[in-house]
Amino acid sequence: MAEPRTTAVDEGGGLRRSITGAQLFFYTLGDVLGSGIYVLIGLVAAAVGGAFWIAFALGVTVAAITGSAYAELVTKYPQAAGAALYIKKAFGSTALTFLVTVSFLSASFAATGSLATGFASYFATLWESPPALLVSLVFLLALVIVNFIGITESVVMNMLMTFVEVAGLLIIMLIGVWFIARGDADFGVLADISVSGNPALAVLAGIAFSFFAMTGFENTANVAEETIDPYRSFPRSLVGGMVVAGLVYVLVSMAAALTVPTDQLAGSDAALLEVVRQGILPFSTDFMTTLFSVIALIAITNTTLVTIVTQPRILYGMAKEDVVPGVFAKIHATRRSPWVGLLFSAAVVATLLIAGSIFVSAGGIDLVNTLALVTVVLLLAIYALVIVACFKLRGQDEDGRTYRANTPLLVLGLIGNLAILGFAVYDDPSSLIWCAGLIAVGVVLFLIEYSFGSRDRPAGTTRGDPEAASRTDA
Amino acid sequence: MHVVVATDGSPQSLAAARHLRSFADPAKITTISVVAVIRPLASVAFADEISETQQRHAGEWTGSFREAAQGALDAVAAVFDGWGPTVDKQIRSGSPAAEIIEAAEESDAGLVVVAAGGRGISDAFLVGSTAERVQHYAPCPVLVVRPARRPRRTVPRKP
Repeated sequence: MAEPRTTAVDEGGGLRRSITGAQLFFYTLGDVLGSGIYVLIGLVAAAVGGAFWIAFALGVTVAAITGSAYAELVTKYPQAAGAALYIKKAFGSTALTFLVTVSFLSASFAATGSLATGFASYFATLWESPPALLVSLVFLLALVIVNFIGITESVVMNMLMTFVEVAGLLIIMLIGVWFIARGDADFGVLADISVSGNPALAVLAGIAFSFFAMTGFENTANVAEETIDPYRSFPRSLVGGMVVAGLVYVLVSMAAALTVPTDQLAGSDAALLEVVRQGILPFSTDFMTTLFSVIALIAITNTTLVTIVTQPRILYGMAKEDVVPGVFAKIHATRRSPWVGLLFSAAVVATLLIAGSIFVSAGGIDLVNTLALVTVVLLLAIYALVIVACFKLRGQDEDGRTYRANTPLLVLGLIGNLAILGFAVYDDPSSLIWCAGLIAVGVVLFLIEYSFGSRDRPAGTTRGDPEAASRTDA
Repeated sequence: MHVVVATDGSPQSLAAARHLRSFADPAKITTISVVAVIRPLASVAFADEISETQQRHAGEWTGSFREAAQGALDAVAAVFDGWGPTVDKQIRSGSPAAEIIEAAEESDAGLVVVAAGGRGISDAFLVGSTAERVQHYAPCPVLVVRPARRPRRTVPRKP
């Protein structure tokens, strides 16, 4: 693998940063694009009907506004701690900060589960024999190993994977354009909300599902500290990346709606593949199907990698704060990876996958669907809080370089987040049970630390004591 | 001679710095550059396990890996306090091996000091540790300091 040679600028005092604005843009784009459209487009189509592009357009608008709140906060607090840090600064409440951190971690677990299941669906189109659960578990294990070794750290690889992701969606758009050029397109389908009941509610349901495709942008806060000239490049790259992702989503959903009957999209686990299978392009359909499956697998992998990098980082931060057991701050002596956190995260996701597949085989739920909804519910609550925090922190820690998000848009974004959240919970209250279950994992860790934490502190010291956390790393 | 001393925040890197001081002649060294490299896309971009700061502020985590890197730099630089050579500190960002090599090239270093990396899994997957890569590609001699065996393993052999 190529070593990413940095294009560092010297900022004086020997401080160099390495992430350029362009890299940040592709990081955002790759994070957002991989997460949902390959996996969830069928669900969104089922919820809305042929006009499901509207759900993507509205969803990405709300997400991009939330992104602008993140951009403002990142230019004030470039540390890698993300939402938890902003909430802590704004509300000063330890309990709320803990809840937000655990919710974010839970959302990340659920997202990984949903993505791993989506990976298995596309994998099945290439090779049908292995059971889906096995594929998703092996996928998870492989990514954990890759993360442990540190291959995920290659900026170059990250960009290459993003290019592949975009290429896959360009294929879909090309099919759409070809189809229109042939004169076969019936544009009426783009205005079709073919669901019984209130069309506004149908669109809202679509947004709730499509919102999973918008998530991931918050992970860019991970690299904020290492971004060159973050004041200028962060808002541009983050919001710009999301707007481009949104545009791609809208065009892809239009192409899908035009070329494939909505009920066929709705019934498919790998819905974008249905578009390719229509054989509209003058190439071998078998070849295109295989190519597209491989691209989809790479896209899903790219986004899943970021979630798997983020989880141990959150646990590491929490261990440093003494709110979860100190073992999560353990760093592998030579690989410098937080291996305990990594293994723990993998175990939680594996449990989700296994528990989920038991429910599915018992005739219950659709796993991708449920886990995606759980992610969305948790993240929407966090996004709404982040916007409130952004308002609350106005006037603090600002200087001339701080980016300022548009206030009326933020209000709109807050209402949007809450509306989608309200609907998602109302539509499927069972998602709250999964959320509670995941948050309970965090609470259990806290209780373990609270009750037994003194054991990994030297005798005679207390929580937060100078001597405490350092010793646990040794 | 200009010497580059790398730290990844590990106790081994601190031991490597101490090892340099234990035998080298400070009169022959003009400058020591202590270099810490932050890995932006890693789960933990920099883990400081050696500084005073990280012990003092245990239980509070700002989320800043730059602060962690600064702490480790200060701890390693403190090894050379009062030794003679001027000490400068650099925080860099990117792939550790590439950045250490670049730091050596920029300063026209005569020696790079790193702690020994791991074996085992890295061999199996054909990706070397930072120390291996630095050894292979550095523009100058490299001192790879393998930490002394842990005390519990060193049983005195002779009375």
